[in-house]
Amino acid sequence: MDFIHSILIQPFLDMADAPDFLIQVLWEGIVSGVLYALIALGFVLIFKSSRIFNFAQGIMVVFAALTLVGLHQKGIPAWLALPMTLGVMLLLAIAIERVVLRPLVNQPDIILFMATIGITLFLIGLGETIFGGENKRMITEELGIPTDSYIFEPFGGLVMIEQRDITAVVGAVVLVVCLLLFLNKSKMGRAIRALGDDHQAALSVGISLSTIWVLVWFIAGMIALATGIVWGARAGVSFALEVIALKALPVLMLGGLESVSGAIIGGLMIGILEKLFEIYWGQPLLGGNTESWFAYMLALVVLLFRPQGLFGERIIERV
Amino acid sequence: MTAQIKATLLATVFALGLAAPVAAQEALKLPNMSYRTGPFAATGTPHMNGQLDYMTMLNERDGGINGVKIAFDECETGYNTEKGVECYEKTKADGALVTQPWSTGITLQVLPRAGVDEIPMYAPGYGFSAMQDGKTFKWAFNPPTSYWDGASMILQGISDGNLDNLNGKKIAFLHLDHPYGKEPIPLLESLASKHGFTLLPIPVGLTEMQNQSAQWLQIRREKPDFVVMWGWGAMNGSAISEAVKTRYPMNQFVSVWWGAHEPDLKLVGEQGKGYRALSWNFADSESKLMQDVKKYVVDAGKSQINAEAGEFDSTAYQRGILMSVILAEAVKAAQDKAGTPNINREQLRVGLENVNIDAARLAELGAENMMAPFAMSCSNHTGHASAWMVEWDGSKFVKVSDLLTADRSVIDPLVEKAAADYAAANQPWSMNDECK
Repeated sequence: MDFIHSILIQPFLDMADAPDFLIQVLWEGIVSGVLYALIALGFVLIFKSSRIFNFAQGIMVVFAALTLVGLHQKGIPAWLALPMTLGVMLLLAIAIERVVLRPLVNQPDIILFMATIGITLFLIGLGETIFGGENKRMITEELGIPTDSYIFEPFGGLVMIEQRDITAVVGAVVLVVCLLLFLNKSKMGRAIRALGDDHQAALSVGISLSTIWVLVWFIAGMIALATGIVWGARAGVSFALEVIALKALPVLMLGGLESVSGAIIGGLMIGILEKLFEIYWGQPLLGGNTESWFAYMLALVVLLFRPQGLFGERIIERV
Repeated sequence: MTAQIKATLLATVFALGLAAPVAAQEALKLPNMSYRTGPFAATGTPHMNGQLDYMTMLNERDGGINGVKIAFDECETGYNTEKGVECYEKTKADGALVTQPWSTGITLQVLPRAGVDEIPMYAPGYGFSAMQDGKTFKWAFNPPTSYWDGASMILQGISDGNLDNLNGKKIAFLHLDHPYGKEPIPLLESLASKHGFTLLPIPVGLTEMQNQSAQWLQIRREKPDFVVMWGWGAMNGSAISEAVKTRYPMNQFVSVWWGAHEPDLKLVGEQGKGYRALSWNFADSESKLMQDVKKYVVDAGKSQINAEAGEFDSTAYQRGILMSVILAEAVKAAQDKAGTPNINREQLRVGLENVNIDAARLAELGAENMMAPFAMSCSNHTGHASAWMVEWDGSKFVKVSDLLTADRSVIDPLVEKAAADYAAANQPWSMNDECK
């Protein structure tokens, strides 16, 4: 009876007992969810246009953030380092298309996936050689990101909201809106979607595969830079950021590999639910660290009922 | 003519092939399992640089150790246990005199193999604490101090030398969810029941290292009197940032020696003031030891560090230097005991048991203020060096305590039991009956 009480009643009593703490938990969940969604977006964009599961998205986050910080350390002001980093990500996109993807056109998906593992290993080595392995401070203030906190006292309690977290959330929303507008309203965006729907048909109407691939890898690079800045602002820039990409996998399983809105909603769902579960069930009952597996369990449950994810496209093939 | 050239080339290659192992035996093969890549590279790299630079300095300044050059090759593990085991097998096949596993996870995997293969395992300041029992762990060494020693000293540091002062207090134990992070838990649990404090273990998973909001929400909810951190890699910098963010009092936040790492504190700068770490080493760039490293390695362009970025002065880099100092002392002791500069694995094992870095030897080495004296023996494979509590003053670490010493009366019985349990679980297990 005690056990059932501790699972079904006590967590909700705890929530009601300290509503300010619940608000703080929800806010932290939203911030985590936005950050997960940002990483997942990079995967979705590339998969949508090329059916490639880009294993290198995590290291692209590290590489972009390291480039930004590294350029600034060389004495380049932040306002200039930012576009220069975007330039580096564009060059990287062109190089990946020319050297890796173009020779592998029409190869099975698994070959392209393996190629992205190769890109990952290459970028790890290149990043390590150029920037070293030390943890570096993100140039948060230099980029104009505020670092103070807002303090609220709802229900006589305390809620602390970091301004940089608000910046991250607002920045992510702006980025996603721009991305959706670009994908849905621009000619290039429609071309990306057309390639995702049917390569052969898209090519037959004159859409350039090379141009689109460079474009999506560049956009994925931009998203990687945004992700690197917000994650790096929280805890510094190091190769450890790469493992955060693992958190995008359950988001993709949940939201579907082809859906931009799925990545966002999936990210937010996982961010909020894993935080609530960890605080009210995981820590008191299971010794904590449930965030390591909770998202995967949630995704697994969803996949049992919707194999294409919550927002993925259901594929029906004639036999 | 072509056939003649081919034959000559073949003969040359064959001759070189035969000659290579002979030449290699003339070098002291002391490979290191490094991790300069991956999520833990940020803390691994400065330690590996320090270890490598001291050996390079000995090669440059003294022509090696007693005239024998040191081959200090690295095998990259990325802090991955499977890769670590591969590196162990590779370096063993290459004729390594020692294995330096550089991760508690790898240490635990390699520990039984090293005993069978009869390769000394050198795990300075990490690994399985029960390895101090030289009778059970004949081939394993973890000087100058173990994690259990460290946990005991931290509790002494935060209780003003009397653990009974912790009675009724709550201590959160923020640790990496990894064999390394869990290592001190048995000792802490034992001390908690003995001295009446509440221990609250808070694990941090690999993917949560840089997103510890849930852990610090728990700390906010539980309001512990102290947070003791057993972190590694990016976990430490994130925890310090979260502590600042949640306004946890920095003077109640203490770490094991790996948390005495300047780049982690530079993330928060002045806001990290009051943060403490127990450290068995203290950086002293003006010491004779460090000046020799500077002269023969760094200034000579033979180091991988970025001295301009302050890496030479970092506690982690200089800790790596001392790790190699201890190993080099073991090699010297082995050579003295064996009466030959070309030693084998068994002789190096004996050398490790005869390391005696007393105050006089520290002065000779030019490292008086950098670490405490200690000695190992047949039965004591740790040495139990004392350590300082160091504090971040906003820009650097300063010593804020005298040398602390671990409470042997609590640790030794636990070690005895853990060693006996380990031997029983890994039968047949070879004991060193020469030890008392």
